[in-house]
Amino acid sequence: MISAPYLEVAVLVLGTVILLIESFFSKFDRRYLGYAALVGLALIFLATFFIAPQSTMSSAPFWNFYSADATSLFFKRIALATTAGVIVMMFDFAALVSSGVQGATPQSGLGEFFALPLFTCAGLMWMASAIDFVLIFVSLELVTISFYVLVGFTRRNPASLEAAVKYLVLSAVATGFLVYGITWIFGATGETNLQKIATVLSGTGLEQNAALFGGVLVIIALGFKIAAVPFHIWVADVYQGAPTPVTAYLSVGSKAAGFIVLLRVLDPFLILPQMQTLLVAIAVLTLIYGNLAALPQTNVKRLLAYSSIAHAGYLLVAVVSFSGRAVAFYLVAYLLMTLLSFAVLILVSQPAGDQLESFAGLSQRSPFLAFAMLVAMASLAGVPFTAGFLGKFLVFDAAIATHHFGLVVVAIVTVGAGFYYYFKVVRAIYWDAPPASTDKIIVSPLTRVALIALIAGTFVLGVYPQPIFDALAR
Amino acid sequence: MLPWLILLAPLVSAALIALITGRARRLSASISVVAVLVSFICSCIVFAKSEIAGTEIPWIEFQGILRVPIGFVLDSLSRTMLVLVSGVGALIHIYSPGYMRDDPGKSRYFAALSLFMFSMLGIVLANNFVMMFIFWELVGLCSYLLIGHWFERDSAADAANKAFITNRIGDFGFMLGILMVWAATGSVIFDDIIPQTWRITSNPTFLTICVLLIFCGAVGKSAQFPLHVWLPDAMEGPTPISALIHAATMVAAGVYMLVRVGFLVQASPVALGVIAWIGTVTAVMAALIATQQDDIKRILAYSTLSQLGYMIMAVGLASDEAAMFHLFTHAFFKALLFLGAGSVLVALHHEQNIWKMGGQGRNLFLTFVTFGIGMLALIGCPPFAGFFSKDAILSLAYNRNPAIFGVALFTAFLTAFYMMRLFVVVFFGKPRSPAAKTSRESPTSMLVPLAVLALLSLFGGFHFFASHFLTLPHEREAAAFIPGIALVAMLLGAAGAIILYRRRIEDPLSINLLRHKFYFDELYRVLINATQGFLARVSGFIDRWIIDATIVRGSSGATWSFGALLRLMQVGNLQAYAFIFGLGIIWIIYFVLFR
Repeated sequence: MISAPYLEVAVLVLGTVILLIESFFSKFDRRYLGYAALVGLALIFLATFFIAPQSTMSSAPFWNFYSADATSLFFKRIALATTAGVIVMMFDFAALVSSGVQGATPQSGLGEFFALPLFTCAGLMWMASAIDFVLIFVSLELVTISFYVLVGFTRRNPASLEAAVKYLVLSAVATGFLVYGITWIFGATGETNLQKIATVLSGTGLEQNAALFGGVLVIIALGFKIAAVPFHIWVADVYQGAPTPVTAYLSVGSKAAGFIVLLRVLDPFLILPQMQTLLVAIAVLTLIYGNLAALPQTNVKRLLAYSSIAHAGYLLVAVVSFSGRAVAFYLVAYLLMTLLSFAVLILVSQPAGDQLESFAGLSQRSPFLAFAMLVAMASLAGVPFTAGFLGKFLVFDAAIATHHFGLVVVAIVTVGAGFYYYFKVVRAIYWDAPPASTDKIIVSPLTRVALIALIAGTFVLGVYPQPIFDALAR
Repeated sequence: MLPWLILLAPLVSAALIALITGRARRLSASISVVAVLVSFICSCIVFAKSEIAGTEIPWIEFQGILRVPIGFVLDSLSRTMLVLVSGVGALIHIYSPGYMRDDPGKSRYFAALSLFMFSMLGIVLANNFVMMFIFWELVGLCSYLLIGHWFERDSAADAANKAFITNRIGDFGFMLGILMVWAATGSVIFDDIIPQTWRITSNPTFLTICVLLIFCGAVGKSAQFPLHVWLPDAMEGPTPISALIHAATMVAAGVYMLVRVGFLVQASPVALGVIAWIGTVTAVMAALIATQQDDIKRILAYSTLSQLGYMIMAVGLASDEAAMFHLFTHAFFKALLFLGAGSVLVALHHEQNIWKMGGQGRNLFLTFVTFGIGMLALIGCPPFAGFFSKDAILSLAYNRNPAIFGVALFTAFLTAFYMMRLFVVVFFGKPRSPAAKTSRESPTSMLVPLAVLALLSLFGGFHFFASHFLTLPHEREAAAFIPGIALVAMLLGAAGAIILYRRRIEDPLSINLLRHKFYFDELYRVLINATQGFLARVSGFIDRWIIDATIVRGSSGATWSFGALLRLMQVGNLQAYAFIFGLGIIWIIYFVLFR
């Protein structure tokens, strides 16, 4: 049995070791670092199944801001799996990294590119366990700062640089609001621990508006992380400019961690009715905006950016309905289908670019990738027997159980819009004629295995979701 | 474990053939045959050891609303059906490689055949309606695939479509019936429904509608009037398929299903009446049509319809035992007849017109003998199997409903007539085509199943054999003269056919009404043109001018322009973004705190 905090430590050690090897040895294939990272992540993922229950732990002060319950373990696994998926994508992206960095050696920059996600991963895992505002803030910053570097990693590419600057400035603004909100809450309640805040808030004789103000500021900051309207404005540009594996990481890892923190932070605040209304309003806006703005897109990467906003909307519906189960399942489904679509996008866009035209006739250039994209799109749209469908089903089920009928109606209408733009991609793949001179696309064995695993996962969870529920209910 | 092995062996075989051994045609055939033999052996063990119980795997669980396990029912009914289905299936698998010798699609054929065995055994084993419905649809799919095996022929492709679509009509009713049962009792598992039956039976109208809707499924799958039209066309498929799917097993699934839910069916006298008469009408109508057909397989197909009518009639007369008895014996002799016909067809290079055959009794002696046994069993000649089971149904009808008895007796007469006609024209007289003169007996692998089935048709009806498998029906006041009357009807029919058709070279009778199958196809075509064509035109108009022009273009235009408007917000300028961000914050703080 392992104590939970060692997981993060292990990830950090892994990252540090990889960085050190990168610095002190020069003549070897940098891709081995990537393999090492994958193996390490896999081992740590396995270790999450042997975590000692929290109740056996001593009551050291440490456990006042760190929790190792089933939910946080579950989200740690999501973080680990996402990071592994992103590193697999980075192998396919390696050529672009080298040309975007232009160092002294052909593979310069690649070692750091493999190491940085590990630090992000450690941050995400801490976020999953954080039950104190101090740890929330610190781990959030660890994630955000490593993302600044990753987004602007291909520094010779102006689009990537521009994205990095936009992300840096707007994220800094959001972080400012987070800290400011935390101080207001601390001022009103005298606590930073979420459970203690909840106790104070449910008591009487409290400056409730002050705490509420702080809570709103925190939600604004988290809204930025999960890309909810009206704090979504950075998403399209940053997603499009960042290196594609990083975009995938942003849209899955960052979002998952944002939602677990949101669930935890909202827990004390949701008893206030204004908070309910606010979240419903944000959810409706996010659903409508994300889906409608995706309709006219012709750039697949940008389309996925808007779709990520739209999915934040569905997740918010689950949050409003107090259904942690629906959130968790939806995030797993979202992880599978998003990583799948970005992985295909990287392979297809290498020669031709991110535009929809480069997908034309993919079914003839690579039937396997075409099928993978079909599965991803079907699941994102919510076709039955895919994980995406069951995720939406659980979300709507929870919303109906809590009588949010208006939300469900909006959500269902926007799902209809989703079918339009997701199947635009499918139409291009299967029905549009391929450009005149195109070669077959070669898929490396590692990527092939990863894609098959993602496709299988999408189908299995679409029919048999029980393992996810079991993991949550441990 | 064993029940799982029965079910999964054919599925594994189908997957192996479809995914791996598609190129190696001989290997594919062997895999399929081995799989069905495994199923058959396991079925026999399960049959012999009554203590074996099925394990259950939870599948769909919604607390208090719906529970669908993957579970098996292993009572005497399903044990008998298991042995019957896998046994007949095994014989036909053994027969198939010979019949499909030179077919380039042999692997595809065996993959579908294995998938069919999986689905059919699934129907037999299913312990709940949902599972049964899924397998029910799967056998429909396999039937579609196998009827359309030679899809490059338009007639085969059309027949496959016709079978599938006609079945869908019945299945829709079946599904509604299942939903009604579930709505009333809150369960889809047979064992859980039985104690809740009073919830349905307490309202006779609801019960009648419910049973009739479930019966719709049987009407489709067992090809009863008025959805019988697909079965004769289904003979476009390879002959072993006609024997296995469209004679012995799948079409009997409807009867099996009705017996399985007998606790509901028997509770509604109105529905029973409808079921009995539908069966009776089908029996006599199909027999009438069969007297005027020239295609050997079509004659057998109509005789299948007619015999299925008998079984449904027995269900409607509230005797599940009689229905199952006839299903049991019919599976043997009808499979035998089809395989015999297949043997003749192989010898004659797939000439199906009986008037181009003749004199085959000398060239194909073994086929001739076994086919003769099958024919005698079908027309109910003692001591062959069909005599006992048909006699049971006739006695039943005599006791319960004299009108139905009369029609059934007439049908028995017709059966003897058309079968003897077929037999005389094909096997006696002089060969009437070059192929018929030089025909040679089929390979041993095809003759062995014929011999086994002939033995079963000979002994299948006797008490000492059948009572191991079935609860035999016994009418308390069975009138002793019923077998006598049936025998007279049979002899009259057979004698009439011999006198009329001996040494003929073309059909002396020509009744257009029967030749055109009571004009059902034409009637349906007119009906479909009138209703569906009209509806299609109306909805086409609505679709084009109202939905497309106004609603879709209008709303999609509006949505699109709204999306484009939203995109304008993405100016790409950082200061503007920060400004919008700030506006959002102000709005939210106002919204929560100052409103």
